[in-house]
Amino acid sequence: MQKVGLSCKVNGKKVDLEIQPDTMLVDLLRDTLRLTGTKEGCREGECGACTVLLDGLAVNSCLIPALKAQGKSVVTIEGLAKAEGQLDNLQQHFVAEGAVQCGFCTPGMILNAKSLLDRIPDPDDKEIRYAISGVLCRCTGYQKIVHAIKAASHDKQQIPQG
Amino acid sequence: MKAPPDLLLREHSMNEKNDEKKKVATLTKERVDLQKLSKILSGGLSVAGQSAVRTDARRKVTGTQRYGADYAQDGFLHGKILRSPHPHALIKSINSDKARALPGVVAVLTAKDIPGRNGFGAIIPDQPVICEDKVRFVGDGVALVAAETEKAAQAALGLIEVDYEPLPAVFDPREALKKDAPRIHEKGNLLSQNKLRKGDVDKGFDQAEVILERTYQVPFLDHAYLEPDICMAVPQQDGIMLVEGPMQAPFTVRRNINAVLGVPVNRVRVRQIPMGGGFGGKEDSPIDLGCRAAVLAYRTGRPVRMSLAREEVALQTCKRHPMIMKVKIGAKKDGSLVAFQGVIYDEQGAYASLGPIIPPAGGSHIHSMIMMAGPYEIPNVHVDAYLVYTNHPYGGAMRGFGAPQVHIAHEQILDELALQLGMSPLDIRRKNGFRKGSATATGQVLDQSVGLQDSLEACAKRFDWDRKYKNRGYVDEQRTKRRGLGVGMGWYRTSIGTAGDACGANVHVHEDGSVLLFTGITEMGQGAYTVLPQICAEELGVCLEDVRYVTPDTDMVPESGPTVGSRSTTLMGNAIILAARQVKESILEAASEILAVPADRLEARAAKIFDREAPERGITFKAAAAKCMATGKRLIGQGWWAPPTPSLDPETGQGNPYFVYTYATHMAEVIVDVETGEVAITDYAAAFDVGKAINPKALEGQIEGGVAMGMGYALMEKIVTEAGYIQNLSLRNYLIPTALDVPEIKSVIVEVENKYGPYGAKGIGEMPNIPATPAILNAIADACGGRIRTLPADSESIFRAIQEAGGPPDK
Repeated sequence: MQKVGLSCKVNGKKVDLEIQPDTMLVDLLRDTLRLTGTKEGCREGECGACTVLLDGLAVNSCLIPALKAQGKSVVTIEGLAKAEGQLDNLQQHFVAEGAVQCGFCTPGMILNAKSLLDRIPDPDDKEIRYAISGVLCRCTGYQKIVHAIKAASHDKQQIPQG
Repeated sequence: MKAPPDLLLREHSMNEKNDEKKKVATLTKERVDLQKLSKILSGGLSVAGQSAVRTDARRKVTGTQRYGADYAQDGFLHGKILRSPHPHALIKSINSDKARALPGVVAVLTAKDIPGRNGFGAIIPDQPVICEDKVRFVGDGVALVAAETEKAAQAALGLIEVDYEPLPAVFDPREALKKDAPRIHEKGNLLSQNKLRKGDVDKGFDQAEVILERTYQVPFLDHAYLEPDICMAVPQQDGIMLVEGPMQAPFTVRRNINAVLGVPVNRVRVRQIPMGGGFGGKEDSPIDLGCRAAVLAYRTGRPVRMSLAREEVALQTCKRHPMIMKVKIGAKKDGSLVAFQGVIYDEQGAYASLGPIIPPAGGSHIHSMIMMAGPYEIPNVHVDAYLVYTNHPYGGAMRGFGAPQVHIAHEQILDELALQLGMSPLDIRRKNGFRKGSATATGQVLDQSVGLQDSLEACAKRFDWDRKYKNRGYVDEQRTKRRGLGVGMGWYRTSIGTAGDACGANVHVHEDGSVLLFTGITEMGQGAYTVLPQICAEELGVCLEDVRYVTPDTDMVPESGPTVGSRSTTLMGNAIILAARQVKESILEAASEILAVPADRLEARAAKIFDREAPERGITFKAAAAKCMATGKRLIGQGWWAPPTPSLDPETGQGNPYFVYTYATHMAEVIVDVETGEVAITDYAAAFDVGKAINPKALEGQIEGGVAMGMGYALMEKIVTEAGYIQNLSLRNYLIPTALDVPEIKSVIVEVENKYGPYGAKGIGEMPNIPATPAILNAIADACGGRIRTLPADSESIFRAIQEAGGPPDK
């Protein structure tokens, strides 16, 4: 198969690559770019551990051909913390609320939550649960995750973004 | 969470403790009222008992925590397993010439290539690393391949030609026990038969005024941990085999690999790496993958990586044991239980895994038998338990180890009994539930830390049971949705009941006051890497961040047994305390020399050591550690702790199998659509007597996650098999609860001190999912009149149960 050009932004940095056209986004991120924070739990879009943001929308990167990112912006869990290592608002609340156990679903959870809060700054519990319902967690029972997202949404309203 | 004032509850004591901590911090800086300070110092804990933030949380939220699949793969061969397509067959011949000839393929191994013992298993090594003459389930390993790329390895599997002669297979434990059943293993299909005899059950039933008999059936369950299994075997320069992977039992993995390679134990090094969930499953599967990867690495001399796809995990690894449980229960009219008789047909599947007994009371089967009559004092109990091989995948450990199944039976029959007696489901439990001094079905007298009744009252209060109980019934004018309540009580052991159950810990303090903690307890998400350092820091008198937990590595850490059986906090906690005290003795001695104050007057807190009688006189922990180093005082502590010796008579099932139990009561409110069988859980409370919460927030996390898992068991989870073939290998058709299914859970922590536990603690990891399943099933029955005795209670089953019960109630 002939390689094709892919030009996109990953975590704010410009990426220009020649890739096999059948490369899935998850493999591009994990294998080529070594961004292994994106997890792979099922490879069929059921577990949501591989969630990344594609132009701000949460997508399962195991179902998306990498070429779909052409000209677009991809954000992975590695792209969330500020450059100085300061955690993003959501990350801070996941830590503080005890929303993390084994951690395998955590990147996918946080990115789904980020996509939600960018659209709906003050979601109710139902909206939060709906937003993360595509990400499976076997450890937490989801409760502390919901609380962390809620707490982050309250914070977000107080702190102007910019 | 507001706590009932009459119980020693977490939140209340927590706030006090936080205040005290602040006071200590303030007081040590200034001249203080000595009396006041010594009062504060004498009682409280400063690190243990606090909701410390997980030590690994930051890595996990930033994506920097590397799991096995994230490790660099350069230089690794990729290992694959050719699996049997038959549930039961003879292997007539294997031809791997074509596979070997494929470019990129480095090795194709069959049974003759195993250097040592061709068998592995957590208890009995009855599972072939590579099957030689026979396969016993769909998924059995027939050949191993190592290739330069995963693609080549996969392609090679398709080129191996195996000539099978299919044999008749058996998939029901009752069928497998028949004389003419296909013989799966040479010794026969009955792997274990166990008996429990207390009192005289016939006389007991003679005295009974009400007798009920029921049969319950539960399916295979998948752990559905999010991280698929992976293992890496890396031959070392000195001939040592290093095996790395996410695993709960590095020592069990090591003792299997050394036998399979035919080398002494000390020639194998097993290292635990971050684990994306285990729930008991990764006690067993890493033995399988570890042995196979090690054999490939041994034969090729190259590092080998074996990583399973989601479907392979479902196909190959152990499950929760399915069971058929027959129960007969007898009571007096006043509700007092007089007799209990149970029969368990426990389906082991193709291989022994963690099913059979490790004397006196280890192994999941014996545990089911011991727990079957529930946390109730019954004078006459009689249980027969059969553990039977079939041609299904095999049963292993899954959160609760044989206890979740039997709780589904005893909690449901008790509710039916209460209904028949006209008693409330709570009153029948109040009447018969364990109290201090009660004797269990094995005749064990519970002489301490028995908070079952406390958990019931605390849960009822938090849940508002009495008010809710009056509001049961239809919730809509059309009378299609009906509300019901259910209770589930439970108990669970701390420890595993084997004669060798023990934990070792090493504590190293360095000249700068920093600490290394070495144990063999692994982190699977439950929080061991936070809770165990908390205990270490508490005992040494340092801060949590001063302690670094060394990831278990069998070359470095003392034997600790497996991370199972809700044993880590208690058994390892005690070992850590013993280790830390040895070092602390040196530290206080050094501080005593520096301060010229007797050592017994010194107190260590938050990495400072001060005179209890004159707190302004103090030095840093670091200064004391440096003095130890400079003067040759011991800075290494070694702790070893084994629980009181377990006992169980093999003939009568009588004895003291486990030294302490955790108790719980769960309450669920559901609304059932009586026309469709749909269930919504609308409220949920769960109370636990945990002895002492070492990290309350982490504990809540265990409760919430456990309830969700128990809920999945009740409502949706089931491995579906058809003639030995799993029909739902993927998360697309094996459903687990999502955020939309699980309600907000109200956790209540009750602390009835365990005199054998660190600061009074006992185990909690497995307990939360156990009573959840029957609480929900009882609530469903209360709501719609339909009783689900064959799990799961999906809409269709509920709909049918309603019809069988003669239609929806009050219609």
